[in-house]
Amino acid sequence: MAESRRAFMLAAARAAGVAGPALAALAGRDALPRTEETDLSILSAALLLEHHAIALYGHGLKQSLFPPGLRAYATEFRGDHQGHRDTQVAIMEERGATAPGPRDDYDFAHAPAGESFVRLALEIEVAAQSAYTALIGHIRTDDYLLSAAFILIDEVRHMTVWRRVLGLRIY
Amino acid sequence: MSEPGPSRRSLLRVLATAPLAALVSGQRAEARDYASAAEVLAEIDRLEASLDARLGALTITVAAAGALARSVQADHDRHRRARAGLRRRLGLAPRRERAAAAGAPPSVEVLRAIAQDLVHAHAEGLPALRDAAAVDLLARNMVDDARHLAILQMWLEAEGQGG
Repeated sequence: MAESRRAFMLAAARAAGVAGPALAALAGRDALPRTEETDLSILSAALLLEHHAIALYGHGLKQSLFPPGLRAYATEFRGDHQGHRDTQVAIMEERGATAPGPRDDYDFAHAPAGESFVRLALEIEVAAQSAYTALIGHIRTDDYLLSAAFILIDEVRHMTVWRRVLGLRIY
Repeated sequence: MSEPGPSRRSLLRVLATAPLAALVSGQRAEARDYASAAEVLAEIDRLEASLDARLGALTITVAAAGALARSVQADHDRHRRARAGLRRRLGLAPRRERAAAAGAPPSVEVLRAIAQDLVHAHAEGLPALRDAAAVDLLARNMVDDARHLAILQMWLEAEGQGG
């Protein structure tokens, strides 16, 4: 992964609250063993990114920061992230672990409206897609591996739609 | 190509509200279970060749699709080389060369359905690989294929809106 892209992903992951072994793996410092602890670490990191995305989309929709023609996409994508959150919370609870909740200090107060807000949404989607891609090979269990793969497909769709909206290259 | 059914995204969303046991069993019931890495790679080969051939056929009638077709085929060429290396590393037989019949220029919906099957073959195949590096490789290829799928979905949406 290009260093600039990795740095961007790490910054977004830290902003979402990701820490510990998953952050080290995202940074390329540590190879995670395929263990139950690793699965839980990945689940926690993924959940923090999902919480962050849900909060960002929720703020944008509530404050009407998305361009009017794009609200349907924003609503759909927020729904996808809520589904990802609920799926991964259920997996953690099934394994007897406590899922992390959303941070209480998201600060979107100065988030700009219009195309600039779409750019913020794209940033969290890129971070999520990069994080799932980087971590998926470390997942131990088949069921979480399958779920993570379908979540990753969603993240790619979100990213591709926002890139097209912003006039960025998609192929 | 499989029969059209509920999208995985919709399925995941519906299942997310169900108890995990139902979620997992439902997901597994919907997903194809691959028995081996060889089976996964063969299915990916088949669907990829089919998509390339049909996308190529579309460019005969829709010249504007040419750039997309070339980009998709370049990605697929790279994916095929990577899978060839993976097969060697895993001690699997090389890919069986089979030319996919292009047939008449397809609709965008046909292309989208094949692209979706290709993406799902990657996703559903990951558990059968039993190899972290192989999962990493196919997941990265899947990201490219999911992007192609998203583009075809947007194309279809634009057609639906008269775009």
